[in-house]
Amino acid sequence: MSDALAFRNCTVCYGATPVVHHLSAVLPAGSLTGIVGRNGAGKSTLLRAVLGWLPLTTGAITLGDAPAHDARERLHYLPQRSQIDWDFPVTVREVVAMGRHGRVGALRRFLPEDEQAVDGALRELGIDSLQRRQINALSGGQQQRTLLARAVASGADVFLLDEPFAALDPSAATGLARRLRAWAEQGRLVVVVAHEIDLVRAHATHALVMNNHLIAAGPVGEAMTDAHLAAAFGRPVAVR
Amino acid sequence: MDWLALLDEPGHRLFVRALLVCVFLGISGGLLGCVLVVRRMTLMVDALAHSLLPGVAMAWLLFGQSVIALLVGGMAAGLVTALASGLISRLTRVKEDAAFGGLFAAMFAGGVLLVSSTGTRGDLQHFLFGNVLAIGTGDLVLAGAVSVATALTFAVFYRSILLECFDPTFHRACGGNGMAVHLGLLALTVVNLVAALHAIGVVLALGLFMLPAITAYLWCDRWGTMLVVAAAYGVAGTVGGFFISYHTGLASGACMVATLGVGFVLSALLSPRHGLLARWWRPHHHHREESPDVCDT
Repeated sequence: MSDALAFRNCTVCYGATPVVHHLSAVLPAGSLTGIVGRNGAGKSTLLRAVLGWLPLTTGAITLGDAPAHDARERLHYLPQRSQIDWDFPVTVREVVAMGRHGRVGALRRFLPEDEQAVDGALRELGIDSLQRRQINALSGGQQQRTLLARAVASGADVFLLDEPFAALDPSAATGLARRLRAWAEQGRLVVVVAHEIDLVRAHATHALVMNNHLIAAGPVGEAMTDAHLAAAFGRPVAVR
Repeated sequence: MDWLALLDEPGHRLFVRALLVCVFLGISGGLLGCVLVVRRMTLMVDALAHSLLPGVAMAWLLFGQSVIALLVGGMAAGLVTALASGLISRLTRVKEDAAFGGLFAAMFAGGVLLVSSTGTRGDLQHFLFGNVLAIGTGDLVLAGAVSVATALTFAVFYRSILLECFDPTFHRACGGNGMAVHLGLLALTVVNLVAALHAIGVVLALGLFMLPAITAYLWCDRWGTMLVVAAAYGVAGTVGGFFISYHTGLASGACMVATLGVGFVLSALLSPRHGLLARWWRPHHHHREESPDVCDT
């Protein structure tokens, strides 16, 4: 089971420009946290800092007691769907099997346990009947589920998703949000960068509202107030 | 064709040597081409091929037909082009593709001047377009070694190469060394280009890499299948082109690339899933599932 992901006084810079300022927050195990804020607010930067891709100028990010970037096997980063070349000649199963790469390494052969992890992930996401399909022969929701199955196959318990709802139709986006909430209820720690304020408010347990610096973090009801959102976006945000 | 009689001919050693080089280059060109196609590096590699000319020309002027010298010269020229274009794009307002394009044209012109200042018109033609029947034992050994190294690299690092091509960000998140894979593949590309120099020449070398790979891309929906089909088609096309050249006396490199090109054009028209005719025949067909997006738990 996952431990809390804690940000303590984190500052992240691109060159000399700080993009995240002295941010502190704790995302508990078993939570689905939505990171919200305007474009350029440092949301994706924060995810990249968790992975250790961007150095911290100040502070620390920890998962449990250890620095987060040392817990690579427990972390899984899902890129935006638009970053994937869906014409690539690769099947659903091959993509899901990539999830094992962090554990198997470049040279070791797949063992039965690796194949079982892939089978389990395909079943959990309900795409085992699609596993031989080339990935462009899938709907948007099925493509997103393929990426989620890759995450499950990795055996990670902390998931960092960069704009997973982008370009999904409303029913697929709601389905995805429900699935992520169910993951959190199973004890996984899920962090989502999202522009969809309504979805975050309806399905997330926690929210982190930021505008380069932290505006509010905590349970959704406390963090996503109209005042906090207005401070993050520089204008009132209409939420249905 | 009477093969035994063919081997009794005086030129049979040259013939067999040329045939083997075609097989070697077909395999490694097909494999590497797949990476270049899916990573959208085709034009970059064309520029790289042209920019090798001053390096190999200088090696040829100083050391004659030494294969090692050609390899070192080619590698040095490729490295200079890559590093210089990187520096120019970082330190000036010129973008990397423009820096690379400008440098490759200048390097290629320098190479042509080097060869034509001391060599004959035939020498220049040889560098530009190659002649598979004029290759030496050293070239055969180089092509064989490069081909085996390329095939072994793809076999041993199959998963890393696939992951780096498909999703480099995820490869990095898994702790993979994307830069090492990228540089390794680039180095393999340069040694393959040098190995292909005598057989095909710098101008047409791109065809040997690209045509088998894009042809396979039109037929295959799996990465492993695409690699095998590209290598097999690379061998078939180069050997077929070589036979046409042998019997007609036409330029060998052009025959090989043209043969590969015919297969590509036919595939672009006729491939049952991704060809033009299939698209025209099924104008309303949708690859995607018509069922609603369901992501529910």
